[in-house]
Amino acid sequence: MIRLICYLMGGKYMKAANFSYYEAKNIQDAIKIKANDEEAVILAGGQSLLPALNMRLSSPSCLIDISKISGLNDIIIDGDYLFIGALATHSDVMRNEIVSQKMPCLIDILKMVAHPAIRNKGTHGGSIAYGDPAAELPALAVATNAEIILSGQNGDRSINANDFYLGLFETAINQDEIVVGIKYPLLKQGQVFLFDEVCRRHGDYAMAGLIANIILSSNKVNDLKLVFFATGDKPDVADKTAKLFLQTGYDYDQLKNSLSSEIDFAGDLNSSSEMKLHLATILIKKIINKLEA
Amino acid sequence: MDDIKVNQNPKLGSIDRPNSYIGRSLPRENAKKHLDGGGQFVDDLTLPRMVHVAFLRSPFAHAEIKSIDTKTAKLSDGVIDIFTAKEIDEVCKPWVGVLGHLGEMRSPEQSPLAKKIARWQGEPIAVVIANSRAQAEDALELIEVDWLEKDAQVDMETALDPNAVIIHPELGNNLFWTRTVNQGDVDKAFKEADAVVETTLDFARHTGVTLESRGIVADWNKAENKMTIYHNGQAPHMMQHIIAKHLDLNEGLVRIISRDVGGSFGIKVHVYPDEMAVTAISKKLGRPVKFIADRLESFTTDIHARCHKISGKLGVDKNGKILAMEIDDLSGIGPFSMYPRTSAIETNQVLNLSGAPYVIPNYKAVGTVVFQNKTPMCQYRAVGHPIAVAITEALIDKAAYKIGMDLDKIRKINFIPDNSYPNKSPSGVPLEDLSHQASMDKLLEIMDIEKFETKKKDDYQKGILSGYGVISMCEVTNPSPLFYGVGGAHISSQDGASIRLEGSGAIHLSSSITEQGQGTEAIMKQIAADQLGVKLESVRVTLGDTDATPYGGGTWASRGAGIGGEAVLKAARKLKDNILNIAAAIMQTDKESLDIEDNNVVRKNGGEGISLQKLAETVYYRGHEIPKGTNPELLATASFLIEGIPFVFTNSAMGCQVSIDQDTGIIKINKFWAVEDCGTQINPKLVEEQIRGGVIQGIGGALFEECVYDDQGNMQNATMADYLVPMAYEMPDIIVDHVTTNSGRSIIGAKGAGEAGTGGAPAVIMNAINNALKQVGAEVISQPITPEKVLKALGKI
Repeated sequence: MIRLICYLMGGKYMKAANFSYYEAKNIQDAIKIKANDEEAVILAGGQSLLPALNMRLSSPSCLIDISKISGLNDIIIDGDYLFIGALATHSDVMRNEIVSQKMPCLIDILKMVAHPAIRNKGTHGGSIAYGDPAAELPALAVATNAEIILSGQNGDRSINANDFYLGLFETAINQDEIVVGIKYPLLKQGQVFLFDEVCRRHGDYAMAGLIANIILSSNKVNDLKLVFFATGDKPDVADKTAKLFLQTGYDYDQLKNSLSSEIDFAGDLNSSSEMKLHLATILIKKIINKLEA
Repeated sequence: MDDIKVNQNPKLGSIDRPNSYIGRSLPRENAKKHLDGGGQFVDDLTLPRMVHVAFLRSPFAHAEIKSIDTKTAKLSDGVIDIFTAKEIDEVCKPWVGVLGHLGEMRSPEQSPLAKKIARWQGEPIAVVIANSRAQAEDALELIEVDWLEKDAQVDMETALDPNAVIIHPELGNNLFWTRTVNQGDVDKAFKEADAVVETTLDFARHTGVTLESRGIVADWNKAENKMTIYHNGQAPHMMQHIIAKHLDLNEGLVRIISRDVGGSFGIKVHVYPDEMAVTAISKKLGRPVKFIADRLESFTTDIHARCHKISGKLGVDKNGKILAMEIDDLSGIGPFSMYPRTSAIETNQVLNLSGAPYVIPNYKAVGTVVFQNKTPMCQYRAVGHPIAVAITEALIDKAAYKIGMDLDKIRKINFIPDNSYPNKSPSGVPLEDLSHQASMDKLLEIMDIEKFETKKKDDYQKGILSGYGVISMCEVTNPSPLFYGVGGAHISSQDGASIRLEGSGAIHLSSSITEQGQGTEAIMKQIAADQLGVKLESVRVTLGDTDATPYGGGTWASRGAGIGGEAVLKAARKLKDNILNIAAAIMQTDKESLDIEDNNVVRKNGGEGISLQKLAETVYYRGHEIPKGTNPELLATASFLIEGIPFVFTNSAMGCQVSIDQDTGIIKINKFWAVEDCGTQINPKLVEEQIRGGVIQGIGGALFEECVYDDQGNMQNATMADYLVPMAYEMPDIIVDHVTTNSGRSIIGAKGAGEAGTGGAPAVIMNAINNALKQVGAEVISQPITPEKVLKALGKI
């Protein structure tokens, strides 16, 4: 977002425009304010929002600060799910014992999210709700068929991540709703989540990334879901390509053709669409190599 | 104390004595202040009645300003006034960025704010003065400008075409400057050569990315007719002259204070239109005015550098001896030549430095510098070096491959021999006290180069492309008056130092050299304490204040140690001489029988001495106790400049080893080696910091950094998220070693050490990458060498 727009501004701004600030005491309080003000936005860790404000890419009427609300950073097992509260920071998640036992790949993924200072402030729910197509967590949520828990005026609802991301920074969050947590299905027997990405520098947004949800039976890939990020306007699910892989194994040319027909690769400053297509194809190989290792 | 890392320089006295600080890796005291958050940067300063500014900048690369309507904006909260070029020009005269000693340069007048036409995206056209920066930015949104967008000349390669957009119609075309060097007869030599190799290299624009952005507080005091400027620049006395000249002030009543500066790299040694506007606003309003560039402004208005396309040709005989070299360089500098150093120097250095380590009897070089609608380009750390070194070393590798010779051997047989100085570069520049042979030998020894050929073959079997490179280079440091002064610029090539013994026994030193984070203050202290014979902690240093320091050039072009350090040495020796004269009179003995150790005047043959504190007390408070006729001056001042040659050159040799992921195009620098010969090292640890920091900047240029523009001249990556600089993960181990050949131009013998890494790393990294790629018949020729360029070279995309 920043990279798309900053040059249009001619480098004018580094201080945010005026906004009002509301420190929410509880979730109902925050919902009430948000429901009544279309231009209000939620402030959690602020790692994406604050730069956008300072560059005046975003001029909201009000920041509803939810960071002081207690009970929104739980990390617990909830039935067949790992529940991560929206306000758990990336650092909280990386250090959590339950996560390291039940979903170790999440820790590997978070190591690639920016740098420690940002991970200390940035929140799990913030990343899911912001829906940056180049970010890891939205793709993870889609790959694992996670449920995103939203609180609104009429109570809580749950929506599958596959239905949550609608377009560039566009999600299914309603005006009166706030993301309060994410539920990741616990790994089943023979199931593994694998992740890889290619960045120019450590901690950067990837040129292309892949999260694979793999079901193994007797050491063979039985089922496979491939979700790419930093490739298009939202997490890109490549079901046709996954099916092709299950039929024919890794064949660079075939998989590349399939990906190119299935995903609308959008180039950016660091990698053209052609580069992203190549890297996406290579990422499948890298994931398979990891699986074999 | 730390181990002595340097060879003893006999002119400096024995190293086995108390207070022998020169050559020791002592921790620098001012690092503590910064770690503790106690630095004083321009933005830390708040003055009574101070106002803030925000500039309205052109969103277009080239556009006519039909009208500017500030009526509504002036009513915005907190706004004091809004100025356009009309108001600023009433108090600030325009400038022209040309010099007289390098042939004809053509650049038009430039004013703080653009008048009718904006010529780069980011050029200031109006300025809001308000009680806070946020209020000033609020008002910016309310200024209405009627723009007429014009075609922009973005590409330097078409800037001289007949149908190019002429940026300054009064000049007739977009040519700023051109120079040709012709030594010997290259055409004849190429005909006689057994092998001729050619290449064309591209270098993207990049910029300095200082941690602290540019900042200024201007404070005009009407009652005293005095202008005080707090500025994070590199050359306070140069700024004093320029501000006095263009604002028509008494130069003696302009004071420039540069306290802590958070990195400069040459970015902060130029005159910027927005900073000049700030001084003009203070003069108009009679109030202190603060401007701190934000990061977007830094990217679009700090000078950019590089932006070169260079083709080269090298001819060798069958034994690898170089017979001729020819280069043709094109550079684009934006719409104006920067003031007062001009934007010609980078190309000039490319022409001077290409081939400089080698005997090349026939040499021809053509440089062409053109205008374009991009941010102005000017001198940044290692000016011109990366281009000169990269083209030279790429051609030498190509010649070695062509005639089947080892990469180190072809260099060794062509070096200007270490015992042949004084000598001249292929371009005719005088060279002295260099050591390419010894430095390369040392490099090969610490790299253990033999093993890389084996490793490369093993890696290849495993599907990994790995490669290595070695290069040699000259660095321009310690410039003499022949650099700028001779061309008419008021930039001092002389630096001064003043040192005194105070009543408490403390030593106070002031120098015209400035500190921007590299440790200047620390080395000045070491030199003064060493030469005087006092403990390091008894020396206090003042830098960066035109009212409080001797006159001089400041810190740029690696001149702090060699020029400023020599002035400190001379001043300390003078003071020591004065002290010993007084002590001899008091102690009724010969001066020659006395010395100073650990803050005491001591008798060389033993016996009772006198502490400096007691001596100072006697001189200052009980002067009647000193014999009549004794000179009571406990203050000494000295100056130094380089005479007779344009620069004191330094040399270095570098090597690196890389591997390339053939699937992703990602390059990993596994290890980097640098051997530097900067003469006497005053503090080896600080020298090594200079080398390592420079190498990191060089990695930036080679692999990451680029100011990306679209076809309309919009900069597309003006944020730290999108403009990539190397971070900790991208930094390899950098092994630094030294050869020491003291400069014969000074007692201290120090040469500059700041340019090598930045100047040499891009060449050796590119050579190592091409050494790896050669195994599959591929090559990269454009920096930064991105994964996408590598994959294209490999035919993968």
